[in-house]
Amino acid sequence: MSIRHQITRAAEYQSLATLRDFIEATCKGHPGVDDQVLYDLKLAVDEACTNIITHGYAGMNPGSIILEIDLSPQKITMTVTDFGHAFEPCETPMPNVEAGLEDRDTGGFGLYFIYQTMDEVDYECTEDGNHLTLVKRF
Amino acid sequence: MFRSLRVKQQPLKIVPDSPSISAEQLSRDASIPITLRQINSLPENAKRRIYRPLLPLGILVQFGIDPITWKGPNGDQHIRLKAGPEKNGVCIAARKASDDPDDILFLELADNAMNGIDLNLIVINDPESPRFSTDQDEQGLPTLFGTARRNLGEEERAMQAGLAPAQTRASLRASRQVFELLETFLATLGHRAYFLEPLTYVSAWVFEQRGFAYVRGHKLMDDIHAEFQPGGRLNSALDGSTPFRQPNQWRTVRGRAWAIQDGILDAIDTHWDGLRMVKQIGRHAGVETFPEAKY
Repeated sequence: MSIRHQITRAAEYQSLATLRDFIEATCKGHPGVDDQVLYDLKLAVDEACTNIITHGYAGMNPGSIILEIDLSPQKITMTVTDFGHAFEPCETPMPNVEAGLEDRDTGGFGLYFIYQTMDEVDYECTEDGNHLTLVKRF
Repeated sequence: MFRSLRVKQQPLKIVPDSPSISAEQLSRDASIPITLRQINSLPENAKRRIYRPLLPLGILVQFGIDPITWKGPNGDQHIRLKAGPEKNGVCIAARKASDDPDDILFLELADNAMNGIDLNLIVINDPESPRFSTDQDEQGLPTLFGTARRNLGEEERAMQAGLAPAQTRASLRASRQVFELLETFLATLGHRAYFLEPLTYVSAWVFEQRGFAYVRGHKLMDDIHAEFQPGGRLNSALDGSTPFRQPNQWRTVRGRAWAIQDGILDAIDTHWDGLRMVKQIGRHAGVETFPEAKY
Protein backbone atom coordinates (compact mmCIF):
# COMPACT_ATOMS: atom_id res chain seq x y z
CA MET A 1 0.00 0.00 0.00
CA SER A 2 1.25 3.47 -0.84
CA ILE A 3 0.47 6.89 0.57
CA ARG A 4 0.09 9.82 -1.77
CA HIS A 5 0.76 13.49 -1.00
CA GLN A 6 0.45 16.50 -3.26
CA ILE A 7 1.34 20.17 -3.35
CA THR A 8 0.76 22.77 -6.08
CA ARG A 9 2.67 26.01 -6.31
CA ALA A 10 3.38 28.72 -8.86
CA ALA A 11 6.36 28.04 -11.09
CA GLU A 12 8.67 30.66 -9.59
CA TYR A 13 12.00 30.40 -7.85
CA GLN A 14 10.63 31.31 -4.45
CA SER A 15 8.45 28.18 -4.58
CA LEU A 16 11.53 25.94 -4.60
CA ALA A 17 12.07 26.23 -0.85
CA THR A 18 8.42 25.34 -0.23
CA LEU A 19 8.74 22.26 -2.43
CA ARG A 20 11.93 21.17 -0.65
CA ASP A 21 10.21 21.63 2.72
CA PHE A 22 7.26 19.59 1.47
CA ILE A 23 9.56 16.74 0.46
CA GLU A 24 11.25 16.84 3.84
CA ALA A 25 7.97 16.90 5.75
CA THR A 26 6.52 14.10 3.64
CA CYS A 27 9.48 11.74 3.34
CA LYS A 28 11.53 12.21 6.49
CA GLY A 29 11.04 9.27 8.80
CA HIS A 30 9.73 7.01 6.05
CA PRO A 31 11.48 3.61 6.29
CA GLY A 32 14.48 3.60 3.96
CA VAL A 33 14.82 7.38 3.80
CA ASP A 34 18.10 8.46 5.35
CA ASP A 35 19.69 11.89 5.06
CA GLN A 36 21.37 11.00 1.76
CA VAL A 37 18.13 9.81 0.16
CA LEU A 38 16.34 12.90 1.40
CA TYR A 39 19.07 15.08 -0.08
CA ASP A 40 18.81 13.26 -3.43
CA LEU A 41 15.02 13.65 -3.54
CA LYS A 42 15.23 17.36 -2.86
CA LEU A 43 18.07 17.87 -5.32
CA ALA A 44 16.26 16.07 -8.14
CA VAL A 45 13.01 17.99 -7.66
CA ASP A 46 14.87 21.24 -7.25
CA GLU A 47 16.67 20.73 -10.56
CA ALA A 48 13.53 19.57 -12.37
CA CYS A 49 11.51 22.54 -11.14
CA THR A 50 14.29 24.97 -11.95
CA ASN A 51 14.17 23.70 -15.53
CA ILE A 52 10.41 24.16 -15.62
CA ILE A 53 10.64 27.69 -14.21
CA THR A 54 13.50 28.69 -16.50
CA HIS A 55 12.46 26.99 -19.73
CA GLY A 56 8.98 25.46 -19.44
CA TYR A 57 7.20 28.66 -18.60
CA ALA A 58 9.57 30.99 -20.42
CA GLY A 59 7.84 33.96 -22.01
CA MET A 60 4.58 33.72 -20.10
CA ASN A 61 3.17 34.51 -16.69
CA PRO A 62 4.08 31.26 -14.97
CA GLY A 63 1.49 28.60 -14.34
CA SER A 64 1.49 25.80 -11.80
CA ILE A 65 3.84 23.05 -10.76
CA ILE A 66 2.19 20.04 -9.14
CA LEU A 67 4.44 17.79 -7.07
CA GLU A 68 2.98 14.45 -6.14
CA ILE A 69 4.82 12.06 -3.82
CA ASP A 70 3.90 8.44 -3.53
CA LEU A 71 5.45 6.60 -0.60
CA SER A 72 5.65 2.83 -0.63
CA PRO A 73 7.80 0.39 1.35
CA GLN A 74 10.26 -0.21 -1.52
CA LYS A 75 10.43 3.14 -3.25
CA ILE A 76 9.42 6.78 -3.42
CA THR A 77 7.85 8.02 -6.63
CA MET A 78 7.72 11.74 -7.26
CA THR A 79 5.77 13.16 -10.19
CA VAL A 80 6.31 16.74 -11.25
CA THR A 81 3.58 18.08 -13.53
CA ASP A 82 3.60 21.37 -15.38
CA PHE A 83 1.64 22.91 -18.24
CA GLY A 84 4.33 24.92 -19.95
CA HIS A 85 6.42 24.19 -23.02
CA ALA A 86 7.34 20.53 -23.27
CA PHE A 87 10.89 19.47 -22.51
CA GLU A 88 12.80 18.07 -25.49
CA PRO A 89 15.42 15.69 -24.08
CA CYS A 90 17.00 15.10 -27.48
CA GLU A 91 17.69 18.83 -27.80
CA THR A 92 19.36 18.99 -24.42
CA PRO A 93 23.11 18.41 -24.57
CA MET A 94 24.66 16.61 -21.63
CA PRO A 95 27.42 18.49 -19.86
CA ASN A 96 31.00 17.37 -20.25
CA VAL A 97 31.77 16.44 -16.65
CA GLU A 98 35.30 15.42 -17.61
CA ALA A 99 36.21 18.90 -18.80
CA GLY A 100 38.16 21.30 -16.66
CA LEU A 101 36.19 23.96 -14.81
CA GLU A 102 37.24 26.70 -17.21
CA ASP A 103 36.05 24.67 -20.23
CA ARG A 104 32.67 23.64 -18.90
CA ASP A 105 29.39 25.23 -19.95
CA THR A 106 27.51 26.73 -17.04
CA GLY A 107 24.21 24.98 -17.83
CA GLY A 108 23.07 21.43 -18.35
CA PHE A 109 23.96 20.02 -14.96
CA GLY A 110 20.38 19.87 -13.71
CA LEU A 111 19.52 16.84 -15.81
CA TYR A 112 22.84 15.27 -14.99
CA PHE A 113 22.11 15.50 -11.27
CA ILE A 114 18.62 14.08 -11.77
CA TYR A 115 19.94 11.06 -13.65
CA GLN A 116 22.69 10.52 -11.10
CA THR A 117 20.40 10.62 -8.08
CA MET A 118 17.27 8.84 -9.28
CA ASP A 119 16.82 5.20 -10.23
CA GLU A 120 14.18 5.85 -12.87
CA VAL A 121 13.32 8.96 -14.81
CA ASP A 122 10.27 9.00 -17.07
CA TYR A 123 8.97 11.94 -19.04
CA GLU A 124 5.63 12.11 -20.74
CA CYS A 125 3.92 14.98 -22.50
CA THR A 126 0.16 14.51 -22.62
CA GLU A 127 -3.08 16.43 -23.03
CA ASP A 128 -3.19 16.98 -19.26
CA GLY A 129 0.34 18.31 -18.84
CA ASN A 130 4.01 17.40 -18.89
CA HIS A 131 4.74 14.69 -16.34
CA LEU A 132 8.24 13.97 -15.07
CA THR A 133 8.29 10.86 -12.90
CA LEU A 134 11.27 10.31 -10.61
CA VAL A 135 11.69 7.02 -8.77
CA LYS A 136 14.06 6.39 -5.89
CA ARG A 137 14.33 2.79 -4.74
CA PHE A 138 15.62 1.64 -1.35
CA MET B 1 24.56 8.67 -18.58
CA PHE B 2 21.06 8.53 -20.09
CA ARG B 3 20.62 4.93 -19.06
CA SER B 4 17.77 5.69 -16.68
CA LEU B 5 15.84 8.17 -18.81
CA ARG B 6 12.80 6.87 -20.56
CA VAL B 7 10.79 9.21 -22.68
CA LYS B 8 7.51 7.84 -23.90
CA GLN B 9 8.24 7.33 -27.56
CA GLN B 10 4.87 6.26 -28.84
CA PRO B 11 3.02 9.03 -30.65
CA LEU B 12 0.30 10.79 -28.75
CA LYS B 13 -3.07 9.26 -29.28
CA ILE B 14 -4.79 11.70 -31.54
CA VAL B 15 -8.28 12.06 -32.77
CA PRO B 16 -8.76 10.41 -36.16
CA ASP B 17 -9.00 13.02 -38.89
CA SER B 18 -12.56 12.19 -39.59
CA PRO B 19 -15.47 14.61 -39.63
CA SER B 20 -17.84 12.19 -37.97
CA ILE B 21 -17.68 9.22 -35.70
CA SER B 22 -18.83 5.76 -36.62
CA ALA B 23 -19.80 2.77 -34.53
CA GLU B 24 -16.69 1.08 -35.86
CA GLN B 25 -14.48 3.91 -34.57
CA LEU B 26 -16.24 3.85 -31.22
CA SER B 27 -15.35 0.20 -30.83
CA ARG B 28 -11.61 0.90 -31.26
CA ASP B 29 -9.21 2.02 -28.52
CA ALA B 30 -11.48 3.76 -25.98
CA SER B 31 -8.67 6.06 -24.84
CA ILE B 32 -8.62 7.94 -28.13
CA PRO B 33 -10.60 11.12 -27.55
CA ILE B 34 -13.63 12.00 -29.59
CA THR B 35 -13.95 15.60 -30.75
CA LEU B 36 -17.04 17.75 -30.49
CA ARG B 37 -16.85 18.20 -34.26
CA GLN B 38 -17.27 14.47 -34.69
CA ILE B 39 -20.27 14.41 -32.38
CA ASN B 40 -21.77 17.40 -34.19
CA SER B 41 -21.82 15.49 -37.44
CA LEU B 42 -24.17 12.90 -35.99
CA PRO B 43 -27.93 13.05 -36.55
CA GLU B 44 -29.80 15.57 -34.39
CA ASN B 45 -31.29 13.07 -31.96
CA ALA B 46 -27.98 11.29 -31.48
CA LYS B 47 -26.41 14.62 -30.54
CA ARG B 48 -29.21 15.29 -28.07
CA ARG B 49 -28.63 11.96 -26.38
CA ILE B 50 -24.90 12.62 -26.13
CA TYR B 51 -25.11 16.22 -24.89
CA ARG B 52 -28.06 15.64 -22.54
CA PRO B 53 -25.89 14.60 -19.56
CA LEU B 54 -24.32 18.09 -19.50
CA LEU B 55 -27.53 19.47 -17.99
CA PRO B 56 -27.96 19.06 -14.21
CA LEU B 57 -31.20 17.22 -13.68
CA GLY B 58 -31.90 18.90 -10.34
CA ILE B 59 -31.86 22.34 -11.92
CA LEU B 60 -34.10 21.28 -14.81
CA VAL B 61 -36.63 19.75 -12.46
CA GLN B 62 -36.46 22.77 -10.14
CA PHE B 63 -37.61 24.97 -13.02
CA GLY B 64 -40.20 22.55 -14.39
CA ILE B 65 -38.16 21.45 -17.41
CA ASP B 66 -38.51 17.84 -18.51
CA PRO B 67 -34.97 16.42 -18.55
CA ILE B 68 -35.69 14.19 -21.56
CA THR B 69 -37.89 16.30 -23.85
CA TRP B 70 -36.44 19.61 -22.59
CA LYS B 71 -39.97 21.02 -22.58
CA GLY B 72 -41.73 23.00 -19.86
CA PRO B 73 -45.26 22.52 -18.50
CA ASN B 74 -46.72 24.45 -21.47
CA GLY B 75 -44.89 22.34 -24.01
CA ASP B 76 -42.39 25.09 -24.85
CA GLN B 77 -38.76 24.23 -25.51
CA HIS B 78 -36.57 25.49 -22.67
CA ILE B 79 -33.22 24.17 -23.88
CA ARG B 80 -31.25 25.45 -26.86
CA LEU B 81 -28.62 23.20 -28.34
CA LYS B 82 -26.26 24.68 -30.93
CA ALA B 83 -24.05 21.97 -32.32
CA GLY B 84 -24.13 22.37 -36.06
CA PRO B 85 -22.49 19.91 -38.44
CA GLU B 86 -18.86 20.82 -39.21
CA LYS B 87 -18.74 23.04 -36.11
CA ASN B 88 -16.04 22.31 -33.56
CA GLY B 89 -18.03 23.52 -30.60
CA VAL B 90 -21.29 23.21 -28.76
CA CYS B 91 -23.51 25.65 -26.88
CA ILE B 92 -26.19 24.38 -24.60
CA ALA B 93 -28.44 26.74 -22.70
CA ALA B 94 -31.40 26.34 -20.37
CA ARG B 95 -33.91 29.13 -19.79
CA LYS B 96 -36.78 29.29 -17.32
CA ALA B 97 -39.07 31.06 -19.79
CA SER B 98 -38.56 31.98 -23.41
CA ASP B 99 -39.00 35.70 -22.66
CA ASP B 100 -36.46 35.64 -19.81
CA PRO B 101 -33.45 37.86 -20.53
CA ASP B 102 -31.01 35.39 -18.95
CA ASP B 103 -30.26 31.72 -19.17
CA ILE B 104 -30.31 29.58 -16.05
CA LEU B 105 -27.32 27.75 -17.46
CA PHE B 106 -25.16 28.50 -20.47
CA LEU B 107 -22.26 26.28 -21.47
CA GLU B 108 -20.01 26.71 -24.48
CA LEU B 109 -17.36 24.10 -25.24
CA ALA B 110 -14.99 23.87 -28.19
CA ASP B 111 -12.29 21.58 -29.53
CA ASN B 112 -8.93 23.29 -29.28
CA ALA B 113 -5.88 23.04 -31.48
CA MET B 114 -4.07 20.82 -28.97
CA ASN B 115 -6.41 17.86 -29.24
CA GLY B 116 -8.22 19.03 -26.12
CA ILE B 117 -11.33 20.88 -25.03
CA ASP B 118 -11.82 24.53 -24.07
CA LEU B 119 -14.67 25.66 -21.87
CA ASN B 120 -15.27 29.04 -23.48
CA LEU B 121 -18.10 30.20 -21.28
CA ILE B 122 -20.10 29.01 -18.33
CA VAL B 123 -22.89 31.08 -16.79
CA ILE B 124 -25.20 29.92 -14.02
CA ASN B 125 -27.96 32.33 -13.01
CA ASP B 126 -30.76 32.23 -10.49
CA PRO B 127 -33.62 33.54 -12.64
CA GLU B 128 -35.64 34.39 -9.56
CA SER B 129 -33.04 36.72 -8.08
CA PRO B 130 -32.98 40.51 -8.71
CA ARG B 131 -31.44 41.52 -12.04
CA PHE B 132 -28.77 44.16 -12.55
CA SER B 133 -28.10 45.52 -16.04
CA THR B 134 -24.34 45.25 -15.83
CA ASP B 135 -24.41 43.64 -19.28
CA GLN B 136 -25.35 46.93 -20.97
CA ASP B 137 -23.93 50.40 -20.57
CA GLU B 138 -26.07 53.51 -20.12
CA GLN B 139 -26.48 53.77 -23.92
CA GLY B 140 -27.66 50.18 -24.13
CA LEU B 141 -24.46 48.87 -25.69
CA PRO B 142 -23.25 45.45 -24.54
CA THR B 143 -20.53 45.58 -21.92
CA LEU B 144 -19.30 42.07 -22.77
CA PHE B 145 -19.12 41.14 -19.09
CA GLY B 146 -17.59 44.50 -18.30
CA THR B 147 -14.60 43.90 -20.53
CA ALA B 148 -15.54 46.35 -23.31
CA ARG B 149 -17.65 48.91 -21.44
CA ARG B 150 -18.97 49.45 -17.96
CA ASN B 151 -22.24 50.50 -16.43
CA LEU B 152 -20.91 51.99 -13.22
CA GLY B 153 -24.29 52.65 -11.59
CA GLU B 154 -25.50 49.10 -12.14
CA GLU B 155 -22.16 47.65 -11.13
CA GLU B 156 -22.31 49.54 -7.84
CA ARG B 157 -25.82 48.27 -7.15
CA ALA B 158 -24.77 44.74 -8.09
CA MET B 159 -21.73 44.94 -5.81
CA GLN B 160 -23.86 46.15 -2.90
CA ALA B 161 -26.26 43.27 -3.52
CA GLY B 162 -23.40 40.79 -3.16
CA LEU B 163 -22.79 39.96 -6.82
CA ALA B 164 -19.40 39.54 -8.43
CA PRO B 165 -18.18 41.39 -11.53
CA ALA B 166 -19.71 40.12 -14.80
CA GLN B 167 -22.81 38.82 -13.03
CA THR B 168 -26.28 40.14 -13.82
CA ARG B 169 -27.91 37.90 -11.25
CA ALA B 170 -26.93 35.82 -8.28
CA SER B 171 -25.68 32.36 -9.12
CA LEU B 172 -27.61 29.20 -8.38
CA ARG B 173 -24.56 27.93 -6.49
CA ALA B 174 -24.53 24.85 -8.70
CA SER B 175 -21.06 25.11 -10.19
CA ARG B 176 -19.80 22.01 -8.35
CA GLN B 177 -22.61 19.94 -9.84
CA VAL B 178 -22.12 21.37 -13.34
CA PHE B 179 -18.37 20.73 -13.27
CA GLU B 180 -18.86 17.17 -12.11
CA LEU B 181 -21.21 16.53 -15.02
CA LEU B 182 -18.87 18.22 -17.47
CA GLU B 183 -15.94 16.18 -16.26
CA THR B 184 -17.83 12.91 -16.52
CA PHE B 185 -18.97 13.90 -20.01
CA LEU B 186 -15.41 14.65 -21.14
CA ALA B 187 -14.10 11.44 -19.59
CA THR B 188 -16.75 9.58 -21.57
CA LEU B 189 -15.33 11.16 -24.73
CA GLY B 190 -11.82 10.11 -23.71
CA HIS B 191 -10.40 13.50 -22.73
CA ARG B 192 -7.92 13.86 -19.87
CA ALA B 193 -8.19 17.61 -19.30
CA TYR B 194 -10.00 20.73 -20.28
CA PHE B 195 -9.03 24.37 -20.28
CA LEU B 196 -10.55 27.78 -19.69
CA GLU B 197 -9.66 31.43 -19.31
CA PRO B 198 -11.12 32.94 -16.14
CA LEU B 199 -13.00 36.15 -16.86
CA THR B 200 -12.61 37.63 -13.38
CA TYR B 201 -10.71 37.16 -10.13
CA VAL B 202 -13.82 35.58 -8.64
CA SER B 203 -14.00 33.09 -11.52
CA ALA B 204 -10.36 32.11 -11.04
CA TRP B 205 -10.91 31.61 -7.32
CA VAL B 206 -14.01 29.49 -7.91
CA PHE B 207 -12.15 27.38 -10.46
CA GLU B 208 -9.34 26.86 -7.94
CA GLN B 209 -11.95 25.54 -5.53
CA ARG B 210 -13.14 23.15 -8.24
CA GLY B 211 -9.64 21.73 -8.69
CA PHE B 212 -8.14 23.72 -11.55
CA ALA B 213 -4.43 24.54 -11.86
CA TYR B 214 -2.89 27.30 -13.94
CA VAL B 215 -1.36 27.04 -17.38
CA ARG B 216 -0.64 30.76 -17.13
CA GLY B 217 -1.20 33.19 -14.30
CA HIS B 218 -0.48 31.29 -11.07
CA LYS B 219 2.26 33.76 -10.20
CA LEU B 220 -0.03 36.66 -11.07
CA MET B 221 -2.62 35.33 -8.60
CA ASP B 222 0.10 34.97 -5.93
CA ASP B 223 1.28 38.51 -6.65
CA ILE B 224 -2.27 39.86 -6.40
CA HIS B 225 -2.71 38.17 -3.03
CA ALA B 226 0.61 39.50 -1.74
CA GLU B 227 -0.05 43.04 -2.92
CA PHE B 228 -3.49 43.10 -1.30
CA GLN B 229 -1.95 42.45 2.10
CA PRO B 230 -1.48 45.47 4.40
CA GLY B 231 1.50 47.43 3.13
CA GLY B 232 1.10 46.07 -0.40
CA ARG B 233 0.60 48.31 -3.40
CA LEU B 234 -2.91 47.06 -4.17
CA ASN B 235 -3.90 47.50 -0.55
CA SER B 236 -2.64 51.08 -0.68
CA ALA B 237 -4.61 51.67 -3.88
CA LEU B 238 -7.84 50.84 -2.02
CA ASP B 239 -8.02 54.53 -1.26
CA GLY B 240 -11.76 55.16 -1.44
CA SER B 241 -11.37 57.04 -4.72
CA THR B 242 -14.23 55.07 -6.29
CA PRO B 243 -17.02 52.90 -4.85
CA PHE B 244 -15.02 49.89 -6.02
CA ARG B 245 -11.86 50.78 -4.10
CA GLN B 246 -12.94 50.86 -0.49
CA PRO B 247 -10.28 50.10 2.14
CA ASN B 248 -11.73 46.82 3.40
CA GLN B 249 -12.17 45.18 0.01
CA TRP B 250 -8.87 43.33 0.20
CA ARG B 251 -10.41 41.02 2.78
CA THR B 252 -12.81 39.22 0.40
CA VAL B 253 -12.66 37.55 -2.99
CA ARG B 254 -15.51 39.70 -4.27
CA GLY B 255 -14.03 42.89 -2.90
CA ARG B 256 -10.73 42.22 -4.65
CA ALA B 257 -12.55 41.27 -7.85
CA TRP B 258 -14.49 44.55 -7.99
CA ALA B 259 -11.31 46.53 -7.41
CA ILE B 260 -9.63 44.59 -10.22
CA GLN B 261 -12.66 45.22 -12.45
CA ASP B 262 -12.10 48.91 -11.62
CA GLY B 263 -8.54 48.73 -12.93
CA ILE B 264 -6.63 48.60 -9.67
CA LEU B 265 -3.99 46.30 -11.17
CA ASP B 266 -2.54 49.43 -12.81
CA ALA B 267 -0.95 49.99 -9.39
CA ILE B 268 1.28 46.98 -10.03
CA ASP B 269 1.72 47.70 -13.74
CA THR B 270 -0.28 44.75 -14.92
CA HIS B 271 -3.81 43.90 -15.95
CA TRP B 272 -6.23 41.00 -15.84
CA ASP B 273 -5.32 39.19 -19.02
CA GLY B 274 -3.76 36.02 -20.31
CA LEU B 275 -4.71 33.70 -17.46
CA ARG B 276 -5.42 30.16 -18.53
CA MET B 277 -6.46 27.29 -16.29
CA VAL B 278 -6.54 23.54 -16.68
CA LYS B 279 -8.59 20.86 -15.00
CA GLN B 280 -7.15 17.38 -15.07
CA ILE B 281 -9.99 14.90 -15.26
CA GLY B 282 -10.50 13.19 -11.92
CA ARG B 283 -7.85 15.21 -10.09
CA HIS B 284 -7.95 18.21 -7.78
CA ALA B 285 -4.87 20.41 -8.06
CA GLY B 286 -5.32 21.93 -4.62
CA VAL B 287 -4.40 25.46 -5.67
CA GLU B 288 -5.19 28.12 -3.06
CA THR B 289 -3.84 31.54 -4.00
CA PHE B 290 -6.02 33.25 -1.39
CA PRO B 291 -5.63 31.07 1.69
CA GLU B 292 -8.60 30.93 4.03
CA ALA B 293 -10.47 33.27 1.74
CA LYS B 294 -13.81 34.81 2.54
CA TYR B 295 -16.03 35.04 -0.51
